[in-house]
Amino acid sequence: MPEPAGTRPGGTAAGPGRVLVAVYAVFALAAGARAAVQLATRFDEAPVAYLLSALAAVVYVVATVGLARGGRGGRRTALVACSVELAGVLVVGTLSLLDPAAFPDETVWSAFGRGYGFVPLVLPVLGLLWLRHQAEVAAGQEAAGEEAAGEEAAGTAPEDGPGRA
Amino acid sequence: MTPFLVWSATAVAVLVALAGLASTLARRRIGLLHLAGAAVLEVLLVVQAVVAGAALAGGQRPPETATFVGYLAGVVLLPVAGVLWSRTEPSRWAGTVLAVASLVTAVMVWRLVQLWEAPGA
Repeated sequence: MPEPAGTRPGGTAAGPGRVLVAVYAVFALAAGARAAVQLATRFDEAPVAYLLSALAAVVYVVATVGLARGGRGGRRTALVACSVELAGVLVVGTLSLLDPAAFPDETVWSAFGRGYGFVPLVLPVLGLLWLRHQAEVAAGQEAAGEEAAGEEAAGTAPEDGPGRA
Repeated sequence: MTPFLVWSATAVAVLVALAGLASTLARRRIGLLHLAGAAVLEVLLVVQAVVAGAALAGGQRPPETATFVGYLAGVVLLPVAGVLWSRTEPSRWAGTVLAVASLVTAVMVWRLVQLWEAPGA
């Protein structure tokens, strides 16, 4: 089937964004399940690492929800989550290499996400770039909408302009 | 965990992923080929889950049984979730969504093998 032209809906969960949401959902599930097992079965062995796993899971869930919902609020939520995620993977990645004793068991973010093909390191960067692009798109649409509204008020709006049913 | 099931599931997952990426590159939506591939993958995973479930019921226990069962259940849901999520995408990116789900499925199948063959069983 060829891709239909011009019918693509915008938003953070459409197009490449849908891929991003899929990857985030996978990581939310993976990190969440891992943290649940670790916390339930051997919390005493490495409490810091396991609590970090749980934090990572929460961040991935929030980012997934924010990207999937979209809109101004969704974008803001996802922006915070992706920023925390990037900071987390950088800090935990560095610390886990400098002081392996502090991280006796792997977390999603250990060694910059080596255990997950470094996807945890790339993912927040892609997320932030996508959010910036979406914010620009939204700002452009808003500006266009205002322009059209102004033209309409002046009686010069084109027949097929936005806001005309 | 029979090698035949593991290898055929891996091969089908990689083929579905390649077909998905190809449709994205060709700026096309996913078609019947992708759905058929995902269906074959799903059948293989269900058979694998039944085989592994029977082995578990027969008394064989991997060292991390809870994790193993979690992966076993999760991997069966993945192609279904991938197909549903990509079917709601009307653009060429549907193929990439399916490719991500297929590749994650392949990784999870091999993680299952790892968990099953881990020492200490």
